[in-house]
Amino acid sequence: MVKKSLFLMSGLLFITLLWMVPLVSAQAVRGVTDTEILIGQWGPQTGPAAPWGAVARGTDLLVRIINEEGGIHGRKIKYFLRDDSYQPAKTKAIAKEFVEQIGVFAVVGGVGVACGMTARDYLMENKVPWYGPVTGVYNWITPIQKYLFALYPLYDDEAFNLTGYLYEKLGYKKIAMFYQNDDYGKQGVMGVERYLLKKKIKLVEKVSAEVTDRDLSTHALKLKNSGAEAVIMWTMPTHAALILAETAKIGYKPQWATSNTLSDSALMMQITKGLWAGMINSFFGELPDSNHPLMVKYREWHKKLAPQERWGVFYYAGIIFAEPFFEGVRRAGRNLTPETWVKAMETLKNWQGIGPPVTYGPPNTPMDRQGGKHVFYGKVRADGSVERLTDWIQITK
Amino acid sequence: MDIKRDYYEDIELFRSGTILVWSILFLIFLAIFPWLIQKYHPLGFSIYIANLIAVHAIVAIGLNILVGYTGQISLGHAGFFAIGAFTTVIPILKWDFPLFIALPIAGFISSIFGFILGLPALRLKGPYLAIATLGFGMTITTIIKHMEFFGGRMGLQAPKLEFLGTPLKDIHFYYLIMAIAVLMTIGAIKLMRTRVGRAFIAIRDSDIAAEAMGVNLTYYKTLSFAVSAFYTGVAGGLYAFILGFINPESFHLIMSITFLAMVVVGGLGSIMGSITGAALMTYLDIKLQAIQDLPAFGSALVVFSQKYMSVSGISNIAVIVYGLIMILIVLFEPLGIFGFWIRTKKYWKTWPF
Repeated sequence: MVKKSLFLMSGLLFITLLWMVPLVSAQAVRGVTDTEILIGQWGPQTGPAAPWGAVARGTDLLVRIINEEGGIHGRKIKYFLRDDSYQPAKTKAIAKEFVEQIGVFAVVGGVGVACGMTARDYLMENKVPWYGPVTGVYNWITPIQKYLFALYPLYDDEAFNLTGYLYEKLGYKKIAMFYQNDDYGKQGVMGVERYLLKKKIKLVEKVSAEVTDRDLSTHALKLKNSGAEAVIMWTMPTHAALILAETAKIGYKPQWATSNTLSDSALMMQITKGLWAGMINSFFGELPDSNHPLMVKYREWHKKLAPQERWGVFYYAGIIFAEPFFEGVRRAGRNLTPETWVKAMETLKNWQGIGPPVTYGPPNTPMDRQGGKHVFYGKVRADGSVERLTDWIQITK
Repeated sequence: MDIKRDYYEDIELFRSGTILVWSILFLIFLAIFPWLIQKYHPLGFSIYIANLIAVHAIVAIGLNILVGYTGQISLGHAGFFAIGAFTTVIPILKWDFPLFIALPIAGFISSIFGFILGLPALRLKGPYLAIATLGFGMTITTIIKHMEFFGGRMGLQAPKLEFLGTPLKDIHFYYLIMAIAVLMTIGAIKLMRTRVGRAFIAIRDSDIAAEAMGVNLTYYKTLSFAVSAFYTGVAGGLYAFILGFINPESFHLIMSITFLAMVVVGGLGSIMGSITGAALMTYLDIKLQAIQDLPAFGSALVVFSQKYMSVSGISNIAVIVYGLIMILIVLFEPLGIFGFWIRTKKYWKTWPF
């Protein structure tokens, strides 16, 4: 009995302790003190979507670099990373915690459409700046929001442009498409067909797979029989690996091309056992081994501050999605409020870190809040590294 | 004291004056909770957690009717939850139905699916039934995902609710959810004390014996599924408005398992257990994320986790603690929190012996 009571008592104590997580005192501007700026991000660190959680940890690296270099206008950045396990109910709780309990100045990044959508209206009603949700959908810019700035290139425009690149620059006239049968895949199809309609031609074949399909042999056969010279794929990594394996088995080797969601070439090489070589890929950030001065700098800090992390695309995407935010903070100056930050963000014209050139303007059309309008193309080499084919190309007008 | 003299005493809602007093006190507590909490804690955050707890409590009660009282198992309740959420939001969004009509409709649509799922349950038992229901839960979300009508994979935004022209705020919604939760709890308690409830319990204890006594298995087993699905469907409808946005991917397998865990941790075959189970699990699930901000203890955990476990650090600790609590409860108290309550009650009643 005594043991049982002790067990219960310790349980109760633990629960009350959780309530006592310190509250931040009221400030003139939420999340901005004389010495600190508080920002937050949610991202799945556990559960099935955990690989995407690297984004939120990449932002942590950038925050630590900025702090090591002395902060911004005399203020250090304090970063709160919360795991939402990709469950919207948790995301909303985290958003409320950020605003009401911790009192953050802004939210940066955030993976997942559903997760972000549960928090969007709440953040906007409370005038919390939100920079760079990590998905390329229209939900962030329609209806246009004053405090929400999107970065990620739109899937639809990306597919449109990729097709143009294959058709005009590389001269592939017979193009087929392989996509997963859901909204993500359909957005890819929409972009591709929009382009081909303009040229008054058709896809030679359009093959879709259900997300749960594991046997893609008939899909591969259909693609082969179509005689397509180039195939655009709009799928998740698993299906990409499966279709490459099946087409290789039947000796069909077209020119493959795909979106930036599969741009972690090192990872893709591994799961396709080398079949990824030759892939034409669009990218929205510098390549992992790029000589870009900022990339060199970040890589050095990465070795120093977070050597346990793999220097993969997801990880440094966390930097890409936060760089313009901090540029806004810099431009807003010492008097940092949501209003001055928004004004500062709207002065960004073709500003560039390691991601695409970023431009914003006063909110008149949705595109004034869509920062990333560029990608570049690269071809995967046999060793998994990437040969850069083009400079940044504008895909969204 | 516990002797029942006639049938009506047995089906009474409040079996003694003490229970009546405590129930009233609890209702008063629920009514003044927002006022109490705002002195110590941010109101919006607390209300959100309270709303989530209430919705999960409704699901847990529904699931307990099926699992705890009728002895069937379901790993597919996230499916009913999704049906409830989508069939509440769509009529309101597309045809301007008021919530108080859309919500019961959603409940009934959900219970029709419950009835359908109940049919295979007549022939399946234990792990086989678990697999069948698991398949159901996954199928539902896949179907929703592929129908443009339901918003496809991208999901739907729940409309802002209004009452007589004024938009409902979180605090109003809190009272609405609590009222529904209390009504449904009373409904469940009452149901379990009637002929139907006793038939469920008879089926749980031995379905062959129950049938020999004249309990129609086909009728009561499917009814149990339908009632359970009704509760879950209504809860799903409320959940959609708490979140403000729903998409099929949100209703995953883990959710079904969490529901089941709430029932087991709370106590099988107990309405009060369902509520406490839902409250504890929901609370921990959300609050454990902040474990690293605890004074002293938190930072030590972070260091430990990053050194020995994984780069993502603290999040794993939260999940491990969550799992550990569940294991400890089931290990020390197989009847769950409710079992603990019975034991404490006996201890005080027989004190000092």
